[in-house]
Amino acid sequence: MSQDVNRDYFWRTRGNTLEVLKLKRSGSAVKNDGSLSPNRDELIYPDESVDDGVRVEYTAFVNPFVSADPNVLATGDTNETTWTNPDLTPVTSPTETTHVNLNRLLSMAVVSYIKAMVSELKGDLKAKEYYLREFWKRVSDAESNKRMVSMSFPTSPFAVR
Amino acid sequence: MTILEMMERSGADSTNLTVSWIRDAFNMIESNGGDTSKVKKQDLVSGTRDYNLPADLMALSSVSILDTKDGNKYKRISRLVFDPLVTEDA
Repeated sequence: MSQDVNRDYFWRTRGNTLEVLKLKRSGSAVKNDGSLSPNRDELIYPDESVDDGVRVEYTAFVNPFVSADPNVLATGDTNETTWTNPDLTPVTSPTETTHVNLNRLLSMAVVSYIKAMVSELKGDLKAKEYYLREFWKRVSDAESNKRMVSMSFPTSPFAVR
Repeated sequence: MTILEMMERSGADSTNLTVSWIRDAFNMIESNGGDTSKVKKQDLVSGTRDYNLPADLMALSSVSILDTKDGNKYKRISRLVFDPLVTEDA
């Protein structure tokens, strides 16, 4: 029976291995002379077995190509309350009509990436660098779109405008 | 966006090469935060420190342990920043 797992367990990675360790809380001990020893907390191997006890969440290469447009509602944009997302079937052997499973902005980022690779094939390394910068700029734009954080700074009355 | 549209926008003329580049770009996007996530679970075993990371892992988002005394919920655990002094190292 595991409890207080968020306080007692820790993880770290070593190569392709996930190490899980448990904090054994021992507190201070009374020495023979009556004084208190320092805190004796220590990390030990897990001392209990739990079925499906370790859960790992990660990003992976998941279905890059799909059969339908992932950016269009399956029911059409006609009703505010009754709508469903498209049913995306993975495509293992993509053709020119296959959709890329990314939102519009990330798709534009991929276009920049392809432009960079085309430029590299032509030997135009300056253009390649430019398009790779565009690629990362669009990837970061897509990421910041999900964060919903805006920052504003007051302008100093003595600022040069 | 379809592969054909990407080819037209970028001036690429080889479908196979474009598909490979799309896979590369997809990899780079996923390894930097990514758009999709997966979950894998495995048994916690008494006396065992080492567990397998999924072979298809690109970026680790979180590690959780099942708390059987709190409604069987998975709770995120913290990452060790420093090398620990492990007292039961086999």
